[in-house]
Amino acid sequence: MPFDPSQIPIVQIVFFVMTACAIGGAIGVVSSPNLFHSALYLVLSLFGVAGYYVLLSAGFLAVVQLMVYVGAIAILILFAIMFARRLMGQGENQNNQQWWLSLPIVMILFAVLVGVVNTVSWPVSGAEPTGDTVMELGHAFLGSYLIPFEVVSILLSVALIGGIFLAREKVEAEEA
Amino acid sequence: MPIEIPTLNIAALTPFLAVTVTAFVVMFFELFVNDKRILGYLSLLGLAVAAISSVMLLGVSPAPAFQEMAISDGYALVLNLIFIVTAALSILISLSYLGDRALQRGEYYALLLFSTGGMMLMGAATDLIVVFMGLEIMSIALYVLAAFNRRKMGSGEAGMKYFILGAFASAFFLYGVALVYGATGSTNLSAIGNWFTSGGGDLTDPIALVGLSLLLVGFAFKIAAVPFQWWTPDVYQGAPTSVTAFMSVGAKAAGFAALVRLLMVSFGQAFTLDWQIAVAALAVVTMTGGNIAALAQKDIKRMLAFSSIAHAGYILVGVVPGTIDGVQAVLFYLMGYAFMNIGAFAVVAVLEHRVAISSAIEEYAGLAARKPLLAAAMLLFMVSLTGLPPFVGFWGKLYVFRAAVEANMSWLAVVGVINSAISAFYYLGVVVQMYMRPAAATEDGEEVVPISLSGPVTITLAVAVIITVILGIWPTPLVNLTSLAVFG
Repeated sequence: MPFDPSQIPIVQIVFFVMTACAIGGAIGVVSSPNLFHSALYLVLSLFGVAGYYVLLSAGFLAVVQLMVYVGAIAILILFAIMFARRLMGQGENQNNQQWWLSLPIVMILFAVLVGVVNTVSWPVSGAEPTGDTVMELGHAFLGSYLIPFEVVSILLSVALIGGIFLAREKVEAEEA
Repeated sequence: MPIEIPTLNIAALTPFLAVTVTAFVVMFFELFVNDKRILGYLSLLGLAVAAISSVMLLGVSPAPAFQEMAISDGYALVLNLIFIVTAALSILISLSYLGDRALQRGEYYALLLFSTGGMMLMGAATDLIVVFMGLEIMSIALYVLAAFNRRKMGSGEAGMKYFILGAFASAFFLYGVALVYGATGSTNLSAIGNWFTSGGGDLTDPIALVGLSLLLVGFAFKIAAVPFQWWTPDVYQGAPTSVTAFMSVGAKAAGFAALVRLLMVSFGQAFTLDWQIAVAALAVVTMTGGNIAALAQKDIKRMLAFSSIAHAGYILVGVVPGTIDGVQAVLFYLMGYAFMNIGAFAVVAVLEHRVAISSAIEEYAGLAARKPLLAAAMLLFMVSLTGLPPFVGFWGKLYVFRAAVEANMSWLAVVGVINSAISAFYYLGVVVQMYMRPAAATEDGEEVVPISLSGPVTITLAVAVIITVILGIWPTPLVNLTSLAVFG
């Protein structure tokens, strides 16, 4: 059979690459002995998820994922780690003595989820993806999802007030 | 494409808006006001507005608000009153308790109000996204409040522990939401219910049921049900006592609020088919686990933490039947619990002065001789929490157990009664210390520090005592109120 470039299943290949990024990155996050490396693995994992959004024709979400998670949040985490020098040390074991106790529970949960995902026929929407997701999202935010959209601003205010309060000033000597 | 202005029905969310706006006003005046206690009274004013609007809305037929995202039905409004009572009593404790500790700050009252708003949103939400929003607003404010006493290591530890475990619980909850959405194609509670009954959905659909179990995990964490209770004693002990009082009732009530609506409106049939037994098992292990652990406690705040776990179990007994009677019994219990439990924490807050008495139960010895009225109030709360007549705790237990018996689950009520008997040991242990043990002899040169009972915390104590007694003798008004709690 002659080689036909148009026959290369490009979407599948991209999917598997992205999956490798997402899952491999996630495993790296929880297994790396170096916190800084964990943060870098997190970037890889988040990048893989952004790839999924592209494959699902959700371009806007993919860009948001890259800019907010990969761009802003991951960088913030890296800065936080660098400021807290003590966390930069090597050889921090992420497991404590109870890891073997949780292992069977996690395995059971994993088996249940895999079993369920495999047996179920997922509902599939036949609708074509809309080209202009930004407009759709805008209408959704100011239409049917107005209240969650507005309430998020309250949530952010709460987080802001709390964060500022906890980090604001040095406290004097502890009391017993 | 023209933008359609959605119909909002903002009036339905007036209580939530009143509380949230007050929180922002408090933050604003924090800049100018020197005596921060004024902000506490301002918060009480906001809560009063929310209470009045809730009562007024009770007379209006329930209307969905914000495109079926929330509703102000009787159920949500009665819950609003529970949250408002909880917040108001806690603020009154705080006005005295924080004043002693130079912790009196505007942020405290603002966060407490935000948290109350989050609880109200959870009670009114008819969409899982809004439930999650309310859950997060409530929780994030509580994480900070638990860590509010920055001079004390235990307080920071409490905040950190609550935050990390709470984040896990939120992740479980979100995973559950995602699976339920994947199965049913909607996050709206009634739409999920319709999918089961008429939308071609299967009551045994594995994805929806795994989703439900993950949602249950998220809620079980918030209501502190066994085996998701590990954070409770450390957080309750480390947090400032006024915050502990607030979250022991408020966070629990909010968790039940959303859980009960989810089980009744969305999973009604699936729930009564084969999920009753799971929730019943949760109730049994929660009651028993909480009570047995409470027996061993030496610190009163830890003891009350485990007792609050046990109470979550009793309340779950009212959830199990899946009937509207059970739901109303749950609300009755929560309202009564708000008064008696916050009353008990108010006594702890009064005594837990840095130089007077620590929160160790042993130091309550001889309290009856030193402060007869305070000891009598504590006696009353302990008896009511045990569930003995003639106090409101008795009726609360009676109604939830009756709901179980009427649903042919008498064995569950029997387990509940046995557990109440176990709980008598540790509640009455406090009474024995107060009334029958002499105060520890003071060493030479050490002065007995007077216990000062003054200011707003006295109002909390008085209100809690009066309501606990009056509703114990004459529960009809609260029964009438909770009978208004129907789903819209």
